[in-house]
Amino acid sequence: MQLRGLGVIVLLWLAGCQLVEFSPNQAYVPARERSLTAQNLRRLEVQPADDTLRFVFVGDTQRFYDETEAFVASVNQQRAVDFVLVGGDISDFGLTREFRWVNQRLNALRVPFLTVIGNHDLVGNGRAVYQHIYGPLNYSFQYQQTRFICLDTNGREYGFGRQVPDMAWLRQQLADTAGSRRTIVVGHMPPTDEDFDPELVSAYTAALRSCPQLVFHLAAHVHRFTAGQPFHDGVTYLTTYSLQKKRYHILTVWGQREFRLETVAYGAGS
Amino acid sequence: MLASIPARAQQAAAGPYFLTLHVAGGTGLVALGGGYRLAHERLEPELLVGYVPRRLSGSKPLAIVTLKTTWLPWKAGLGDARWQAQPFTLGAMVNYTTGKQFFLTNNTAGRYRPGYYWWSSAVRLGLLAGTRLNYGRTGSTRTAAYAELSANDLHLISALTNRTLRLPDILTLGGGLKQDMR
Repeated sequence: MQLRGLGVIVLLWLAGCQLVEFSPNQAYVPARERSLTAQNLRRLEVQPADDTLRFVFVGDTQRFYDETEAFVASVNQQRAVDFVLVGGDISDFGLTREFRWVNQRLNALRVPFLTVIGNHDLVGNGRAVYQHIYGPLNYSFQYQQTRFICLDTNGREYGFGRQVPDMAWLRQQLADTAGSRRTIVVGHMPPTDEDFDPELVSAYTAALRSCPQLVFHLAAHVHRFTAGQPFHDGVTYLTTYSLQKKRYHILTVWGQREFRLETVAYGAGS
Repeated sequence: MLASIPARAQQAAAGPYFLTLHVAGGTGLVALGGGYRLAHERLEPELLVGYVPRRLSGSKPLAIVTLKTTWLPWKAGLGDARWQAQPFTLGAMVNYTTGKQFFLTNNTAGRYRPGYYWWSSAVRLGLLAGTRLNYGRTGSTRTAAYAELSANDLHLISALTNRTLRLPDILTLGGGLKQDMR
């Protein structure tokens, strides 16, 4: 029994260094690199609040490690940013080490960071890896009177079939407005994309439309900035740049549904 | 009389068979298998079946089937006829990971348009460099202990396209034992 305990300890120590990997698809990472969503939300909770919500939104860090370092340096120069929101496709191949490489860089941020899962993150064993490293694929949190609903919208990865996004969960979250005056929904895949489950587009957009305190819907995937009301229903949909574009957005939200969008360019060639 | 014949002359061009117990190196927590020596023991093709338990996979247990070939260009004596070093070895491998979540190609997954993902999530290619220590006289059943560093294709591509990813970031350590069969 003692021997077995020792064996487990040796095994965990070995797996702790990146050099020892049992599979590039393993979900296992050292304890301090697990449940990052919960870890970052705890940091956010104790952050002193003011009356304006201001956060960075960027997408698709996938295999842009150099750019991610430059991004972090740029964000750290911004004032009054509450947190960073990464719109999915953290990894390119869904491999464990890719997530760790990105996190090693994002850990240098002065503010907490939160993520949603992207289609590339779901490749291979990526779903289990994401759950281990970050946490649930669908989660919500409240900050500065704003309810953030973060969810998996990558329908194609599940072969469509009306499974993803989880509409029952989303409706429940949208209906729960107690203690908040605004709602923001974030998913990697915008409902205007062919990789969003086509059979759920109308249900999804209708659910968002029915939430009177919704400020906007945020997505990534397309690697460029788009803004508009594609369903002509008063609901604003925004998409952001990938890290490769060396641009990110800062969103400032106040009042009921007032917001300002700033674009920051950084690094060489900007 | 036999003892004066150089070791090389006793060595057959091919054989013997050997069994392998391999640990880590991206081919499972533990992998078992074996192979056959070729080219006067300078080339070692082998087949390994590795196991990734649920605790590590975070999903169902995974099996990794690896085809690997090691090239051992140089043998060095250690002043004792029973011990020998093969200070530098090179190798290449290809492996397949089982599990419904992995696709052989983008097209076999059945949910993507051609070219949506260009790589196979089930198949990995790898390059290896290592070192080895042998115990046992030539011609008898020998045991070898080895350690090797490897890099897989996708990690390599990540490093090649990023200045801030360095070689140590993409290396994976593995090692094991090989036992000759007679």
